[in-house]
Amino acid sequence: MTSIVSRFVLLRATVLAAGVASLFGGAAFAGTPQDGGTLTAIVQPEPVTLTSAINTAAPTGFISGNVFDGLIDYDLDLNPKPALAERWEVAPDGLSITFFLRKDVTWHDGHPFTAADVKWTLENVWKTIHPRNQATFGRVTRVDTPDDHTVILRLSEPSLAILSSVNSNGAQVLPKHLYEGTDVLNNPYNLKPVGTGAFVFKEWSKGNYLILERNPNYWDKGKPHLDRVVFKVIPDAAARAAALEKGDVQYAVFSPVPLKDAERLGKLPNLKIETRGYEWISPWLFFDLNVDNKYLKDVRVRRAIAHAIDRKAISNIVWYGFAKPAISPVPSTLPAFHDATVPQYEFDVKKAEALLDEAGYKRGPDGVRFALTHDFIPYGDDYKRTGEYLKQALKRVGIEVTIRSQDTAAFTKRVYGDRDFDISSAWFAAFSDPQVGVTRAYWSGWVGKNTPWTNGSGYRNPEVDALIAQAQGQARQEDRIATFKKIQQIVQTDLPSIPLAELKFFSVHAANLKDVVTHGDQIYGSLKDAWFDKAASN
Amino acid sequence: MSIAQSVLPAAEERPVRRGLFARLLRRPSAVAGLALLGAILAMAALADVVYPADPLDMVGTPFLWPGADPDFPLGTDMMGRDIAAGIFHGARVSLLIGGVATLVSLVIGVGVGAIAGFFRGRADHALMHVTELFQTIPPFLFAIVIVAILQPTMTTVVLAIGLTSWPSLARLVRAEVLRLRDGEMVQASIVLGLSDARIILTHVLPNVLAPIVVSASIMVASAILTESSLAFLGLGDPNIVSWGSMVGAGREVLRTDWYVATLPGLAIVAAVLALNLLGDGLNDALDPRQNRR
Repeated sequence: MTSIVSRFVLLRATVLAAGVASLFGGAAFAGTPQDGGTLTAIVQPEPVTLTSAINTAAPTGFISGNVFDGLIDYDLDLNPKPALAERWEVAPDGLSITFFLRKDVTWHDGHPFTAADVKWTLENVWKTIHPRNQATFGRVTRVDTPDDHTVILRLSEPSLAILSSVNSNGAQVLPKHLYEGTDVLNNPYNLKPVGTGAFVFKEWSKGNYLILERNPNYWDKGKPHLDRVVFKVIPDAAARAAALEKGDVQYAVFSPVPLKDAERLGKLPNLKIETRGYEWISPWLFFDLNVDNKYLKDVRVRRAIAHAIDRKAISNIVWYGFAKPAISPVPSTLPAFHDATVPQYEFDVKKAEALLDEAGYKRGPDGVRFALTHDFIPYGDDYKRTGEYLKQALKRVGIEVTIRSQDTAAFTKRVYGDRDFDISSAWFAAFSDPQVGVTRAYWSGWVGKNTPWTNGSGYRNPEVDALIAQAQGQARQEDRIATFKKIQQIVQTDLPSIPLAELKFFSVHAANLKDVVTHGDQIYGSLKDAWFDKAASN
Repeated sequence: MSIAQSVLPAAEERPVRRGLFARLLRRPSAVAGLALLGAILAMAALADVVYPADPLDMVGTPFLWPGADPDFPLGTDMMGRDIAAGIFHGARVSLLIGGVATLVSLVIGVGVGAIAGFFRGRADHALMHVTELFQTIPPFLFAIVIVAILQPTMTTVVLAIGLTSWPSLARLVRAEVLRLRDGEMVQASIVLGLSDARIILTHVLPNVLAPIVVSASIMVASAILTESSLAFLGLGDPNIVSWGSMVGAGREVLRTDWYVATLPGLAIVAAVLALNLLGDGLNDALDPRQNRR
């Protein structure tokens, strides 16, 4: 097994080396961005709407981040940077957050952008319609706007997670003058958005392309550098790889080509593989173990399964190195919250067998202890291969696994509604604060509610529920971090779900497209910094 | 009974069957088909002997090219699974699915065709309308729908293929039965008071055997292709190795490691070719006009 792993580490290192080379290469030219040019990007699948305020799907966020701005941006280390808000203050008691807005911002239709837009969107969209923000802004009791450029959020309890989720994806401000008094979900401007961002919506030919043009009145002077951005819809992965290779398309995100193809494309002189820009979403892959199953309800069986799985092999072989073994549900990409001291379940077949024997499930005459089913998240071959790996890994310790496949609707109903499964797989985005992305996987209130992408294992622990509630209202970040570390210790001891890997999505872009990734939330952010180096021929 | 035997042209059938194998062996294409099919059958039979381990086991370094390691003559795939083991065990799955699915559609197709052709009238009307209903739905799309609704397992795949491929056979059998229905042989049997079932089973169907055998061999081939297509689309049973699922898994590494998809693809080509050659040979051998030459 070591030889397999080392070979893949080597391959991975080659890809990384290519990425590092591109960084240095970029630095040589990076001094003066050049204006002009059309960037053609791939959006896949085609979005259904163009504002992230009402739909948090990835393709919507990818386009929408160019049309709208956030109150705050996040740099590559996820530090907050001024955007629509020039600065912000958290009251010492944590019970209010004040945003001081820029005064020179106008909507694309010429209307001035003011505090009233923020107040209206928070009250009428984020707190009522937005899928994640109902939790994030749940403790906001009142919004004060003492003047046109000051917004004060009054909170019932301190809520530090807010500041980690007020970029253009987490808290997209809609123009009040176009939305007030309308049916927000069916407002025509959802499909021809009017924002404050670097690019203005121009045209959408459904099933073909979508065009954004440079905003000449953008508040961030000198930006954007590109004249227009065209988003093309290319459903077939092989066609996407060909379009990138040929240079027809210069930018594509969310691992747009088959993982194996990425290595090949990364070696081409005209293309670069980029793994940055996904820091804000921090995705992790895991197996949910249905704790109501008669075998899996025994924690020894759950631990045995964890010991039987080689997470290194999952990252290096199944995911071709585009993943890193995970040891906690809070990914290491959130260094402040991540707890590396949680109980570890190293790959140890003997230990797994001993635990299963101890639990009373001896091997039968045919070598089988018991049988389980596995439902993999139907998002592609990578997840199917993960399931095939699970089947092989558990067979070695005497557990027979039957893999079932189904479409996404049937999968979410089976796991999050009917709970008619034994082991399922899924990936969640942790986002930059575990309150936003991680706690949903363990909070007992979600069990069996048929809310997709929540608590699939059926884990119910009053202590964890209490800690989750406590973290939401803690004023000091150190206290919240301590609480989240406590949660990680408990759930990794009880092990209702097994964190497998921190997924590394990648983007592919043309080598002469510079500064395409400047933010930790880049895939949901703006291309305002991107520019074409005309000296470097493509 | 003795009268029946003397009246019925039973003697006419015997030379057809007796010389069939000999006549097949006279045709080079049929011999090639038989040889290929024999080799594939041998692979299926010997899979457990040559490769006793589960073909889904990750046994080697991923992406070993064919010939790179003598332990894995055909190389390994992206998960380090032995491709040769997959092709051997896949032969078993493909032939089993092809055979059983064909059996299912033979039972339905021959049954429907014989009843419709023999009884004519209302039964014919009703059955042919049902057949037409099935014929209006593209069989592959229909199979996809069945598998998607019932969840892909080996049984549902067999059922889906069997349930969607019988209509053409039913029409063929019906036409043949209609032709024989008014023949002297059947009329004589009716006069002699034989039961309908007996007439159909012992006197009508044996004379329709030639076209059934020929189309069955083609149906096995198309069932193997359909199963491969379903598995390629991710609608195969994920717990077994079939040639189609191997091609489907290898598709995403086609640009870098084309052998992963190509080798099982060649196995499909060989199996389908063998069955088609055999079908052609049977067609010629069973054609009475050719025999007179």
